[in-house]
Amino acid sequence: MRRVTALVAATLLLAGWALSQGFGDKPPVIFAPVGNVQVRAGASKEVSLDFRIGSEFHINSHTPKSPLLIPTVLKLTVPEQVSLADIKYPAGQDVTFPFSPDEKLSVYSGDFSVSTVLKTQANVTAGTYPVKGELRFQACDHSACYPPRSIPVQFQVTVVK
Amino acid sequence: MLASGKYLDRTRKHGTITLVGNVQGVPAPDFTLQALDGSQVKLSDFRGKAVLLNFWATWCPPCKVEMPWFEDLQRQYGKDGLVVLGVAMDDSEPATIAKFASELGVNYQVLLGTDKVSDDYGDVQYLPTTFYIGRDGAIVDKMTGLLDRKDIEQAVKKTLNTGDRSSSIPQNQAKAEVKAVAAKEVAAKDATR
Repeated sequence: MRRVTALVAATLLLAGWALSQGFGDKPPVIFAPVGNVQVRAGASKEVSLDFRIGSEFHINSHTPKSPLLIPTVLKLTVPEQVSLADIKYPAGQDVTFPFSPDEKLSVYSGDFSVSTVLKTQANVTAGTYPVKGELRFQACDHSACYPPRSIPVQFQVTVVK
Repeated sequence: MLASGKYLDRTRKHGTITLVGNVQGVPAPDFTLQALDGSQVKLSDFRGKAVLLNFWATWCPPCKVEMPWFEDLQRQYGKDGLVVLGVAMDDSEPATIAKFASELGVNYQVLLGTDKVSDDYGDVQYLPTTFYIGRDGAIVDKMTGLLDRKDIEQAVKKTLNTGDRSSSIPQNQAKAEVKAVAAKEVAAKDATR
């Protein structure tokens, strides 16, 4: 429920961002804020990052069917106290669009989540550390496409002993 | 010189298309861009011709749909003075763009787009976007998004029917006018939200 509320709030807040990025009055992709993530020293933790795509849009999945299509990619920079063990993308939906009825595209639409796995060493100093990055995507609607864009992704990781 | 800023929102087969008519009559900003063959192509060299100026990209599936239509139109109306110019708004290498165009059988010149030409034409973001430029160098129409072929052919015919009157508006003023029209479009959209 909290994630849904966060997505709704983010939808409203980031509509302005969408305008500034040249998306007119149509919001493209937004990131639902993540609460503080707690990780025990020496353990790993899976963190799900939730995104919402504007209702008229779709974006390429992480594995589009053509090398010319621009994949959705999450890039994260983690502090030295934390390591990024894995990033798992959801499978794309194979969809046929009116502009290309003979070709299926692998896309995300609606809500989707990218799963990340963070690890810490046993001897790491307890504390709160920022994780920052961006999601790069390329959005289209049913008749046209926008240039690739990136949105910021950030959250805090608290390492506890 | 600016046409009345009237939006013509039309629902087409492929979705909601905004056919923006308010750049009609504005002199098309001149540019010199590199073609895929390495030559430099200047828009004003085509004065006296009807120019279909299509902004596209390799990552834009709807753009691919129109390109064979442009090839047909170039074949059909080339003798009447139609010149199709594709402007690739792409970060891909020219060789990749050339391969893509070749596989689609493109028979018209493809130019390598720049931020400047995008900016001069009102910050072209939404692809495909096509400007129809009359024989006198003035913009006859601007179409964004994928339309039906008959709409494109209709715009081509309208563009071919323009006379060759030299524009008296300097280029820097023309660029300013196109940018001003684009800014009004954004403001109008904001006002209707």
